[in-house]
Amino acid sequence: MSVWKEFSKGIAKSNPVFRLMLGLCPVLAVSNSVENAIGMGSAATFVLLGSNSVISIIRKLVPEKIRIPIFITIIATFVTIVELTMAAFAPALHKSLGIFIPLIVVNCIILGRAEAFASKNSLFLSILDGLGMGIGFTLALITIATFREILGNGSWLGITVFCQNFQPALLMILAPGAFLTIGFLMGFFNWIENRKNNLRG
Amino acid sequence: MKEIIKFGFILMLVTLIGAGSLSWVNNITKPRILEQEKKALDLSLSIVLSGTENGIIIPVDNRDQSVYYEGYRDKDKKEFIGYALPVVATGYSSKIRAVVGFDSTGRILAINVLSQKETPGLGTKCEEIRKGESTPWFQAQFAGMDAATIAVDKDGGTIESITGATITSRAITDAVRDSVTNFLNRIRKRN
Repeated sequence: MSVWKEFSKGIAKSNPVFRLMLGLCPVLAVSNSVENAIGMGSAATFVLLGSNSVISIIRKLVPEKIRIPIFITIIATFVTIVELTMAAFAPALHKSLGIFIPLIVVNCIILGRAEAFASKNSLFLSILDGLGMGIGFTLALITIATFREILGNGSWLGITVFCQNFQPALLMILAPGAFLTIGFLMGFFNWIENRKNNLRG
Repeated sequence: MKEIIKFGFILMLVTLIGAGSLSWVNNITKPRILEQEKKALDLSLSIVLSGTENGIIIPVDNRDQSVYYEGYRDKDKKEFIGYALPVVATGYSSKIRAVVGFDSTGRILAINVLSQKETPGLGTKCEEIRKGESTPWFQAQFAGMDAATIAVDKDGGTIESITGATITSRAITDAVRDSVTNFLNRIRKRN
């Protein structure tokens, strides 16, 4: 695959949320506002870049049979180091992103990309993959959060969108709203994909 | 058999390197993290005991190894403003640490949430500052209220709970009420 394709696949064609269906737990939890979506997406992208890089560098040294526990140890260590460093040297950033960092350890996207790509490809391509997947994850989060925040809170990025009399649907910022939004969006993207394939014949 | 030993050894090596680097980073960051926490606490104390800008806030050892604070308007400790008490509430998904300032009659001066890890977008609204305002609206409600009788609206009180975050709201409210009431009872018994 071309260099550009390795990067861009994570954004649309192989979007980790809508196509690969990875990392859905944190997506459900953190997509209730666009501000949270951006925070979580940024933190996850940063961790993804780091973990993809490290695993790609050591890929030839890891015996295949025990690769999963080794990947998990590396990822968990890396995430904890990021959290400690943030807490010590960037307290303001830690206050806003801090809650997302522990959630990233259990994000399947990190382990998924480590296993499916970083352990089998060069450092350069792994970095591109990490960036693309991270951006795709962030965009998916922002899309879902846009629906949930506008309908469930009457705002976008904290800015009130509707007039005073708008009664937000509380359902949208709670868990059921997340399932509904993701379901509809996934159906929509699948429909577009089917149409594209049918047109191609 | 040989493979198992080899794998065991490699895994041990990986976890050794992981634990080692974590320990190293922890040592480097620990003093700075403690410094940040102290800065946050000092800021919090000055918020809940306003009027002490030119005075002094002194820590007092509670007999049960905890600390509370007394705030004075002047450095000579002549004009007593009130107490500040660190409070820990069991929230929905984390321990919520806060500080509450109150006078000797149990009237709350202000509360300030120090740290929490509640659900983003719901419980975290306890620290949300609305556009045009300067204090988190949820915490601002406590100012001026009598600590012994506060409760969230769902429990018949007047504290407006956060939509979709009843547990967080109730945890903070109840913790403030109970901590202040118990503290004042102990102080009165001593005197």
